[in-house]
Amino acid sequence: MKLSYKLSIILLFSALVFSCSSDDNATDLTGNGTVHIEFDNSVAGDDLLLSTSSYTNSQNETLTINRLTYIVGNFRLTDENGTVFTYPKDEGYFIVNEETGNTEVALTNVPAGRYTSLTFGIGVDQEKYLQGAEGQGNLLTEAENTNMVWSWQAGYKFLNFEGTFTSPTITDATDFVIHMGSHGSSLDNYKETTLDLGSEALVSSDMNPIIHLVVDAGNILDGENKIALSEQAVIMISEEKSPQIATNASGMFTVDHVHNGSGESH
Amino acid sequence: MKTHILSILALTWGISVLQGNTMPKLPCPSGNLPTLMLYNDFCDTCGCGGNGGSMGFGTGLNNNFLGLRYIGQKYRSRDGIFANSPWIDEDFNTVQLWTQLPMGEKFILNAVLPYQFHTRTFSDQSEQHINGLGDATVLGFYQVLKQTPDSIISIRPEHTLQVGGGVKIPTGTFDEENLEGSVNPSFQLGTGSWDFLVGANYGMTYRNWGISLMANYTFKTENDKYYRFGNQLNYAINTYKTYYFGNDFALTPQLGLGGEHFEENEEFGLAVNDTGGNAFFGKGGIEVNYRTYALGVSTMLPISQNLNNGKVEVKNRLSVYVNINI
Repeated sequence: MKLSYKLSIILLFSALVFSCSSDDNATDLTGNGTVHIEFDNSVAGDDLLLSTSSYTNSQNETLTINRLTYIVGNFRLTDENGTVFTYPKDEGYFIVNEETGNTEVALTNVPAGRYTSLTFGIGVDQEKYLQGAEGQGNLLTEAENTNMVWSWQAGYKFLNFEGTFTSPTITDATDFVIHMGSHGSSLDNYKETTLDLGSEALVSSDMNPIIHLVVDAGNILDGENKIALSEQAVIMISEEKSPQIATNASGMFTVDHVHNGSGESH
Repeated sequence: MKTHILSILALTWGISVLQGNTMPKLPCPSGNLPTLMLYNDFCDTCGCGGNGGSMGFGTGLNNNFLGLRYIGQKYRSRDGIFANSPWIDEDFNTVQLWTQLPMGEKFILNAVLPYQFHTRTFSDQSEQHINGLGDATVLGFYQVLKQTPDSIISIRPEHTLQVGGGVKIPTGTFDEENLEGSVNPSFQLGTGSWDFLVGANYGMTYRNWGISLMANYTFKTENDKYYRFGNQLNYAINTYKTYYFGNDFALTPQLGLGGEHFEENEEFGLAVNDTGGNAFFGKGGIEVNYRTYALGVSTMLPISQNLNNGKVEVKNRLSVYVNINI
């Protein structure tokens, strides 16, 4: 009897002590870490499977996507205090390519901190382009290898979106080609987007978070601007439609979640 | 599948109603009582899931025993974040050594030591296995209302009420690598944390009928990997009837309902996406008693659920146990 009394008192006490002692995070964020950004391409809530799955958009056009490639760059991370870390421009452009599976960007040497928002550009800005072909580093070679450049004069393709479609008026599967870019320095279609992480990405010498973005390819034609392929199926240099596509493309990114941790496996 | 199991249960119930003597001719030896426990709703969080398992039936009867129980649970979880992401099949298996011992007149001590062996099968048919000790649980209960001793079949309704609590000890391994690449964070041997439980059980028996109600709440703490499973509420109601066959045999079929609710998990103090949720189950089972031995089988099938934002689904649970009264 006495024993059980003591036991229950001990249990009760330990419950109180332990439940009050947790919350201090022994996470002093120091040093530098790597921020991984996963661009998880999707369409209509499904994982994007090239040449396989088809979907029907709000304009009643049914698309099968065969290619989705885009250039992202000028990454900036803002921490909880509003301090902005800008990733070095020279190493700051990446080609996200669904065909090759290159869909993760790694930003190295990011200073320790609690980051709450992410800003990046879709395409290549004029500043970079005006550095000339010599100033492009690996980007130009990589873009040439992945069908992301027309010619040096015409410039980079910021977005390469291809496939086939049908519509109520076009019943045979017809190719569509959407190549959007800035066309030299005459038409600037470089756009930026800022995403609230909805959580915190914790960076330190042993914390390398993964920011998992969902990219909705459906937004390219069926976003803020509605672009009907039955009207024009090949859009490359269009003073009217290219800027609309650029706006739509900049709105195709959302943060699904942030995975904090060592980032060694994933 | 579900309907099959339910109809088998219903059939078992029906047959036992037809065949069972409603009363034993002689007073039963105490070893012949159903041991269906009150406390077996305390399945630990892992494998039993951050979608924590509970397999509980309670009769409110105060038996002391040593037992071995197997719990098998089937889940599936999305390998990805999309509507067409493939499913991972998960098999959680637990063998528990469990005991219930009196501590004086008014206290009961309950202890569970689990061994886990879990498997998950990815969409490419590759498998991952983890096995080892799970988290041990020690609980103490105070008996507010206690059944009159030796009145197995009472004329008046008998009430029991027990309140208590305890601790879950991180004897199982928590491996943060298992968090990667899958949305089900519960593919673990243990939570890695010291967790604390409070609970209450009420039971009423009248003649050979019984009903029991239970509820318990687990406060979970952050583990040394800065991961904290969400707090968990379990509740259940069970009804049963015992049929006696001579002096040595008894058969107790049972039906019940139970629910589980989970708060969101946290990592580094930040909420983890697609965690938390709830599930509501129908339960059925049967226990056979022979002298001081009890053999039981029970199953739980989900009636409704929304776990991990729909990214995890519980399919079924099965429990088989053997107890020896001591």
